[in-house]
Amino acid sequence: MSPYNGLNKIMKKILQYIKIIKLGDTFVIVTFMGLIFWSVSQSWNMPSGQYLKIENNQEDSKVFSLNQTVNKQVIGFLGSSEISIAEGKVRFVKSPCTKKYCIHHGWINKINQTIVCLPNQITISIVGDSESYDTVNY
Amino acid sequence: MTQSIIKPTKKDHTIAKLAAIAIVLSVIEFFLPSPIPGIKPGIANIIILYTLVRFDFSTAAWVSLVRVFVSSIIVGSFLSPTFFLSLFGAIVSLVLLYAVQKLPKPYFSIVSLSLIASFGHIVGQFIIARLWIIPHDSIFNLLPLFLISALIFGLFSAFVCNILLKHKLKKHTF
Amino acid sequence: MRFHKLLLIVILFLVSCSQKAPIYEHKDFIFGTIVDIKIYGETEEKSENISNLIFNDFKRLHNYLHPWEKSLISSMNNAIAAGSVFNVDDEEIIRIIQDNKNLASKSENYFNPAIGKLIALWGFHQELPNQMVPKAHQINELLANVTTMDDLKINQSTLSSANRNFQLDLGGYAKGYALDRAKKILANNGVANALVNIGGNIIAIGMHGDRSWIVGIQHPRKPSAIASIQLPPGWSIGTSGDYQRYFMDHDKRYSHLINPRTGFPADNSQSATIMIPPANNSGALSDAYSKPLFIAPEIEKLQLADKLGIDFFMVVLANGDILISSKMNESIQWLEQNNEKNITVH
Repeated sequence: MSPYNGLNKIMKKILQYIKIIKLGDTFVIVTFMGLIFWSVSQSWNMPSGQYLKIENNQEDSKVFSLNQTVNKQVIGFLGSSEISIAEGKVRFVKSPCTKKYCIHHGWINKINQTIVCLPNQITISIVGDSESYDTVNY
Repeated sequence: MTQSIIKPTKKDHTIAKLAAIAIVLSVIEFFLPSPIPGIKPGIANIIILYTLVRFDFSTAAWVSLVRVFVSSIIVGSFLSPTFFLSLFGAIVSLVLLYAVQKLPKPYFSIVSLSLIASFGHIVGQFIIARLWIIPHDSIFNLLPLFLISALIFGLFSAFVCNILLKHKLKKHTF
Repeated sequence: MRFHKLLLIVILFLVSCSQKAPIYEHKDFIFGTIVDIKIYGETEEKSENISNLIFNDFKRLHNYLHPWEKSLISSMNNAIAAGSVFNVDDEEIIRIIQDNKNLASKSENYFNPAIGKLIALWGFHQELPNQMVPKAHQINELLANVTTMDDLKINQSTLSSANRNFQLDLGGYAKGYALDRAKKILANNGVANALVNIGGNIIAIGMHGDRSWIVGIQHPRKPSAIASIQLPPGWSIGTSGDYQRYFMDHDKRYSHLINPRTGFPADNSQSATIMIPPANNSGALSDAYSKPLFIAPEIEKLQLADKLGIDFFMVVLANGDILISSKMNESIQWLEQNNEKNITVH
């Protein structure tokens, strides 16, 4: 059997499947894809945040400015993680977890972006002003 | 004094057999590694869809809920956050299926049902996750990823279910 | 049937989770700055009506008290410069002037609204500052004939001054006074919870739901807040800073906060923040009294704060070090790691 025949068979099978799809279905599919694009645009269009919120399950959450260059130790369930704040971004540098997913995530800087170290129970997220206070005195 | 005996009906048998398959699929899926936590193909959904089309909604609902409860007990996640994610996803999914099950045949096929069901699963899970598990708006950053996988696996489930419906699982009596 | 019930439960659940506390917000541009009113827990209609009342009163005050645009005050200043007397049939302005005399003398004239001419000389009597350092002799001329609130005489409804250099500039008082007016209007109209921010000077009425209102304190050198602090019901907060109205000349910063004794902008601090507890004129105090803490030399600041009865204050000095009262230090939430700074707690 030549490869051409084999390919033909696969094409036929695929066509068989596609035949199942009806008019109304394409409407559903298109709507679904629209939802996907919408959700993508929402995430991408978030502005950069000014503040970082650190949450660990031991204490109340704390908010810090991203406008500084500093390394902080955050105590979690397994031990101390280290985060680095610089140039309006933040990331995990060290963590006592095994898989180090939190470190591999890299830098975040847009509002609502979050890095979670599940084993150490620490969450760092970018927040807008409204999380820290109601208005500004200047 | 007469003892009341619970006599299983034919429907009960149907539910049990289908649920059993769904449970097995669920448990297998639990042990399969996935690169992104939370993204699962939802192959048990194929059974739910099959049940819905082949039988009726209430049978499918029973199968779905039994699947959620029993597979979580087997796997050891009963009453854990994962369980509630699963449960709420299943509930929203069923609610939507109930609403759309009567969709006109010439225009809608099982593909729509499957996509709507998987969409419902995602929505239900996100609601619970946002309320109880990660009470942050940041969780919505994961939405695109989950929606894409819902689309892909929804289509996949529809095609597989279609094959099953055509063959009506000849080996078994349903 | 069961699933109809389920549907109902799901919908009720979702609806109850989406209830949000109602905050009405209205922003506008008055007093040459942004004014922001937040009203909590009232209907939109009532909030809109009352915030309109407040903004109308602010517009009235803007036209009444403006330091250099056409206003009652500038008319008075013109009369005095021409050597004549000025008649007012307005009891409010008399009260305001009395208040300013009082605050000026208590603050050893570091808060001195009588130096309008000096402020104008430095180019701050226009929307965008002049960008020019005045000549030494111009400054000395004004200093030689230094003006204070004592130079303004009140005789029943007549205002006059023997010192033709006297020029009243209420720029360091008017916003605080407006806060007190807003507080009255809100109280008279039965609004229990609101937050009024006039160009950064803030008064808190009631609470934000079940928590106090919280304000961020602007970092004098960065676009973010350096700290945040709770503003309990009735408290006001005011800051004098060198980072909003200023100009640079040869790498030196000249701000609108002129030291009446030297004739030059005070440069020992970047910002001075004070919080005043509930009082009839707490708004005015939070505005006026931040000036002495900013302007006075470093060694005098602490004793001045004690003298003025200010328990909550924070001064960011010119080099970035921080002088903070112990009471303020207890409640403040730093948003910055303060490793390199020296923080002195008084």
